[in-house]
Amino acid sequence: MKKREIPKGLRDFLPEEVKARRNMEKKAAGLFNSYGYREVATPTFEYLEVIESGAGHHIREDLFLFMDRDGGIVSLRPEMTVSLARLAATHLRDERTPQRLYYMANMFRQVQPQKAQYREFWQLGVELLGASGVWSDAEVITVAAKSLLELGLKDFKISLNQIDIFNGLLEQSNLAEDEQEQIRFFVESKDLVDLSNLLEKLPMDDQLKESIALLPVLHGGLEVMKRIPAAEKNRKTAEAIDDLIKVYEALQVFGINEHIVVDMGVLRNLDYYTGIVFEGYSPDLGYGLLGGGRYDNLLGHFGYDCPATGFALGMDRLALVLQKQQSKKEELRYIVGGTDLSKMVKEADRLRAQGFITELDVEGCSREELQQRLAHYHAEHEYSLIFID
Amino acid sequence: MKERLTIALSKGTLLEPTIDLFRQIGLPTEGLSADSRNMVFTYDNPEVTYIMCRPTDVPTYVEQGAADLGLVGKDIIVEQGKDVFELVDLKYGYCRFVVAVPGERQGITLKDLNYKRAATKFPVVAEQFFRSQGLQVEIIKLHGNIELAPIMGLCDMIVDIVSTGRTLRENNLVELVKIMGSTTRLIGNRVSYRTKHELIQPLVETIQDYMKGGMLSDN
Repeated sequence: MKKREIPKGLRDFLPEEVKARRNMEKKAAGLFNSYGYREVATPTFEYLEVIESGAGHHIREDLFLFMDRDGGIVSLRPEMTVSLARLAATHLRDERTPQRLYYMANMFRQVQPQKAQYREFWQLGVELLGASGVWSDAEVITVAAKSLLELGLKDFKISLNQIDIFNGLLEQSNLAEDEQEQIRFFVESKDLVDLSNLLEKLPMDDQLKESIALLPVLHGGLEVMKRIPAAEKNRKTAEAIDDLIKVYEALQVFGINEHIVVDMGVLRNLDYYTGIVFEGYSPDLGYGLLGGGRYDNLLGHFGYDCPATGFALGMDRLALVLQKQQSKKEELRYIVGGTDLSKMVKEADRLRAQGFITELDVEGCSREELQQRLAHYHAEHEYSLIFID
Repeated sequence: MKERLTIALSKGTLLEPTIDLFRQIGLPTEGLSADSRNMVFTYDNPEVTYIMCRPTDVPTYVEQGAADLGLVGKDIIVEQGKDVFELVDLKYGYCRFVVAVPGERQGITLKDLNYKRAATKFPVVAEQFFRSQGLQVEIIKLHGNIELAPIMGLCDMIVDIVSTGRTLRENNLVELVKIMGSTTRLIGNRVSYRTKHELIQPLVETIQDYMKGGMLSDN
């Protein structure tokens, strides 16, 4: 009997939920338009070769794959950046640069469904194509931060990094590729224990070891970059640090630096990133809200050599946070009861002025009666009783 | 706003050394004991909350952000493969994953186990290990008393957690291969680590420093 089932990890959206998503889309579209970004759409599925040539082979286990009648293997899109790169390389290569594009669409991944992780999920995002300077990185990060603000999130952090800081150090180590891959994996997953065990065993310069071990925990303002001992001697790393400083300074000018944290442990695990990367978090959700970065080689895979940077934001996750924020506000409700009306009114007004929804017991019930009623009210909301004799 | 740290603790054998560690590094431990039936312990200075979990549930609480940090064995972390940060090796609660076979088969090598059956509570670890050795082994997932399975002819070998090896000996099993060692780890939620960095990082460093001092024994 599967008549009423839907496949694992998928959801129906009820009126309130659709309303919330449409609302997000509308606000984000307004913001993106005001920065000169134009909306594009791509097919829901693409050839597997397209996806893999952009996102790398290890994405395959997450894909929903099937065959078309001609025997081609196709995949539901797991993310948008690769499809957009293909689109731009095919259709927009003769247009002026920079190109500012945005999208809002559903993505599909065969992940283990759980809270904030669905097999069909909705993303919105922007891509800025054809510009390579740090100002373009800063603009995209600014649009990301402003999207969150515009959609109603106030408390969030964006972690910023430049992956060549790490890549430079790793190259300098002269380790075999699989050893480098292992180190990358441990840094990315912040497995500090296995990382330090592995580093201990490897034949490497001590200063370099110390620097690599430090990267995953370096977190803070620009000052954290001074703490990498091996940086000065490594040209790639030093240049990447310089790049990161410039982006950070530009973000101060753009006025969103209060949300920015430098975090050298952010590497993003997609193959296509080449420089600045970033991720956005809310303290109210144990999963990231947005992510993005620079990917200067991706369009080249499709025959159009062109620098690019962008981000994607998970609407389902953001909805969870916004919902939580809302219910938090509603959480604290008061009922003010008693016998002395003037004192009751005064207390109720005081609570309302503080932003609490406050109901006055207009029926003049006794304390016991009100307590009994509260038992039923609690099903709806958390209520606190204030009784003034 | 001052924020509160929530730490998931493993009930059972890991609890005593955990309380001991907390006492040493100056985290509150008042009222915290293995006999207590409370599941939540809240303190105000510093602002921390401990929640008591089954060890196998700790990674779930941490991954989903219901707890910011957790203390749990590496054995459970690798078996579950949850997306959590592994911050410090706390060294206590040592045990190891082993492949064990009935005593009468002593002397065989790993190669002889190809196409055989292994019973285990840790199918992921077992599967990964045999695969990495290029072996095809049928994994039988059981929930407890793994030692019984080879006696009853359900399997040819077991993959299990061993600390002293006594249970193996009592059931006439011998250790053939050690897969990996395991100790207790401090794990953290991906996002908490960033949004509560100013609370978590100093704690991590305190514990790291304390561990370097080597004041806790390995067992």
